[in-house]
Amino acid sequence: MPRCWITAPMHELSIAQSVIDLAVKNCTASGHTAIEKITLSIGSASGVMPEALAFAFEVIKKDTIAGNAALCINNVPISGVCCECKKEFASYDRYFYIFNCPHCNSAALSLTGGFELDMVDIEVE
Amino acid sequence: MNIKVVTKILDANDRIAGTNRRKLKAAGIYTINLMGAPGAGKTSLLECVIGRLKGSLRIGVIEGDIAGTDDARRIALHNVPVVQINTGGACHLDANMIGEVLDSLPLGEIDVLIVENVGNLVCPAEFSIGEDMKIMVSGITEGHDKPGKYPLMFRQSSALILNKTDLLPYVDIDMERFRADTLSLNPQIKIFEVSCKTQVGIGEFCDWLRLLR
Repeated sequence: MPRCWITAPMHELSIAQSVIDLAVKNCTASGHTAIEKITLSIGSASGVMPEALAFAFEVIKKDTIAGNAALCINNVPISGVCCECKKEFASYDRYFYIFNCPHCNSAALSLTGGFELDMVDIEVE
Repeated sequence: MNIKVVTKILDANDRIAGTNRRKLKAAGIYTINLMGAPGAGKTSLLECVIGRLKGSLRIGVIEGDIAGTDDARRIALHNVPVVQINTGGACHLDANMIGEVLDSLPLGEIDVLIVENVGNLVCPAEFSIGEDMKIMVSGITEGHDKPGKYPLMFRQSSALILNKTDLLPYVDIDMERFRADTLSLNPQIKIFEVSCKTQVGIGEFCDWLRLLR
């Protein structure tokens, strides 16, 4: 019988939990005790839905020093350069299907942005 | 007061993934993160590969599931080292889970470690576990619209295994569109068409795996 490891359930809250962990770490490291606001940059192609992340954040922030913190999410467009016509493009459409260059319709695209999943800054007191 | 953070949200996961990667590299192990939907044929592909590579590559396996040990028991029948992780609800494996089980595997006796992720086309693509390469399995019964619906996993995978090709006569799937949409998202991806049932295409995939190390 193979060995089986059981880990703690995390559900889809993992990313929100990582947001709180990172913010708390930065807040306490600076000697502060409460987080008022957390600002994130979320790329449209990151696979993360800002609404779902915000909902999860509201649920798990309670009983942490981010309990009264507001979450501010900057959406970053999917951007890139067409390999054919060399023109740049950008789109906020996260349901962006397999897409073609809006200028020449080529499918050969080089994506340069839109995968961000970053914390920009926090407001503390 | 404002504090600049400017850090990836999954930085903590990425750092643990880095530790896993260094540990696996030091042991001379090439690590594959095998992803795909439930029922795509990930475990069946593993069984085919283990059987085919026996004697030329020493395979080790980590199985990830929300619950149960069915997959690990299947793999254990092939006499390769295997551990099962039960995530208890989490939809993906993360770097910390892998880090916790690495010491329970005989790392000195493994050339290629294959980590079968939780069956899911979304979250596993977001969490690095310290792998050298991501490979995804998609059954042709899932339909040709999957690249467009789940683009991140198709973008991040180095190879796509299109499984269940023995069912082609019975399935309404546009294989040309599946291939074209996949290549549009990821021009470098290597596509293998296989049937774990009839073993068609498995040899070609195994030849490619041998060259990775």
